[in-house]
Amino acid sequence: MNANAFDLGEGAPIITLRGIAKSYWRETLEIPVLQGIDLEIPSGAFVALMGPSGSGKTTLLNLVAGIDRPTGGTLEVCGHELNDLDDDELAAWRNAHVGFIFQNYNLVPVLTAFENVELPLLLTGLGRRARRERVAEALDLVNLTDKQWNYPRQLSGGQEQRVAIARAIVTDPDLLVADEPTGALDAKNAEEVLGLMSRLNTEMGKTIVMVTHDPKAAHQARHQIHLEKGVLDRAVEVNR
Amino acid sequence: MRWLALIWKSLLRSRRRTLLIVGSLVLSVFTVAVLQSLLTTLDSITDNPNSGSRLAVRHKSGITQMLPRSYETYLRQQPEVETVCALQWFGGYYQDPRNFFANFASDETTIFQTFREEFGLSSITEAQIKEYLRDGAGCIVGESLALKNGWKVGDVVPLTGTIFPINPRLTIRLIFKSSRPSDENVMHFHYKVLEEGVPRMKGLTGAFWVRVHRPEDIPRLIDRVDRHYANSAYETLTETESAFNLAFVKMLGNISAIIQGITIAVVLAILIVTANTMGTAIRERGSEIAVFRAMGFSASRVLSLLLAEGVLLVGLGAALGIFLAQAAAGAVRSALGAVMPFFADFEITSATALLCLAGALVVGLLSTFIPAYAATRRPITEGLRSVG
Ligand SMILES: Nc1ncnc2c1ncn2[C@@H]1O[C@H](COP(=O)(O)OP(=O)(O)OP(=O)(O)O)[C@@H](O)[C@H]1O
Ligand SMILES: [Mg+2]
Repeated sequence: MNANAFDLGEGAPIITLRGIAKSYWRETLEIPVLQGIDLEIPSGAFVALMGPSGSGKTTLLNLVAGIDRPTGGTLEVCGHELNDLDDDELAAWRNAHVGFIFQNYNLVPVLTAFENVELPLLLTGLGRRARRERVAEALDLVNLTDKQWNYPRQLSGGQEQRVAIARAIVTDPDLLVADEPTGALDAKNAEEVLGLMSRLNTEMGKTIVMVTHDPKAAHQARHQIHLEKGVLDRAVEVNR
Repeated sequence: MRWLALIWKSLLRSRRRTLLIVGSLVLSVFTVAVLQSLLTTLDSITDNPNSGSRLAVRHKSGITQMLPRSYETYLRQQPEVETVCALQWFGGYYQDPRNFFANFASDETTIFQTFREEFGLSSITEAQIKEYLRDGAGCIVGESLALKNGWKVGDVVPLTGTIFPINPRLTIRLIFKSSRPSDENVMHFHYKVLEEGVPRMKGLTGAFWVRVHRPEDIPRLIDRVDRHYANSAYETLTETESAFNLAFVKMLGNISAIIQGITIAVVLAILIVTANTMGTAIRERGSEIAVFRAMGFSASRVLSLLLAEGVLLVGLGAALGIFLAQAAAGAVRSALGAVMPFFADFEITSATALLCLAGALVVGLLSTFIPAYAATRRPITEGLRSVG
């Protein structure tokens, strides 16, 4: 196995990266951010992506989630070769397969918790009633049914992040991506959110890729991948 | 939640933006609607389709000089002529001199035929006309005039003369409806009332209104009539109703250029204000747009949502502006309609309203499209990086 090839155990891979590279250009100067990333993540994994600031964690996550395109290499995620999809197909693919959790929640301030969760369902063919049921289920899962008519400003940070998680899972995606989901939370709320993500992984079988700086958060994951200056450094299985 | 609810809620995100855009649209649409309607109203005066088939025959030396009523016989004999109607401005008032309206002594036997479009003949019956013809002290009034004074058929209206020293008491025999409100601010009574009450008017009239069969015959007829009475004691001046309005038309040319200029300036100003406000509002939402797209909203879907927002916002402002302009037009009609007859026709036509609405929607689309397009073409990752 070559130094950059990572295989996180058995199971059919849901994410397969081959020779992924990403560079930015400043004028004619190429700034490489990721280089030669080979990685397989099996379905049902919970992976923490770690590394120093500027090492390319967010960049890698964005590629996997299909909101950015690599400058080299190929990536197959949830059964699709992403390079083959045009922008609109990629958008439809994200709606069907990926749930996003952001550091600063990114809820729409003018919509209630309920409406925020309903948002990604507007793109599905579901009727009003089916949508309502799905939203209610998702809100129940994050234990916020009683706050569903609150606007984001009427929620605590931890509650906002739980609404965001409900929004991420409401379409029942295979893959959840989270960029420092506990970065803006205090210890108690962080623990709650991490516990929730753990449950989504173990009970619902969601594959989760989470970028984090926090060793405690990383400990919730089953695997840790370390990035260093744009290359994979090492993968560690977490013993619990 | 439906799409419209999503658009609506996004609209209310920035009160400042919403108020600014709706407010400025209300103002500008109001201005444009009122100005354009003024233009339409002024145009309609010279653009009276009936005026093309009528001539006015007056004394050559001016409107205050009289012509013998016997001229009627000659005028009627001309093959081009359909009817002839003697018409004299009476200039009386009802109760209060400030309560102005047009009132005429006119030949009751031909008045309906000569001005049949103005009288809206379909709204009155043969029997009503007979009633009027039968009563020598009868009169006919337009509906809006009757409404204003609370008159109904059978009421006696005392008129106080200003030009002529008589105060006739006239019984309303007929109330007519016209397609233009200014044509309804009028009263006619039997010519005999004037002739019998004012001895010096016996056998005389201020003007004859002549209706021809075919407008093409008019130039020939004018020529013949004026030549026939040349060098007589009462020389005539014959002209078309349109010619009579020509001086007015020349003045209108300038007014319409000014109004169109103002309209263009207002539209440009509003375009700049809206584009600027929309641009700021959309740029402030960079991270939200990125989140929508991450969730699977395609760039074109987000673009149409933003456009719908812009169009709805601008459409609301425009609708409110048109509504206010309508209200203002009503106020103008009741305040000035009696003093300056053409203001009685002042209204925001549906064509003007539609034009304003369409113009506003174009402004909405244009001003939203550019910033919205730019925002949706921005890489998602860039939008997510921006805090907000
Ligand atoms: N649009 C861009 N243009 C140029 N360089 C960029 C751009 N986006 C990211 N980079 C660079 O790519 C590198 C990796 O960025 P990335 O955001 O992936 O790091 P990260 O590991 O997530 O860091 P952090 O822990 O601080 O979030 C950084 O050096 C960054 O400056
Ligand atoms: Mg990062």
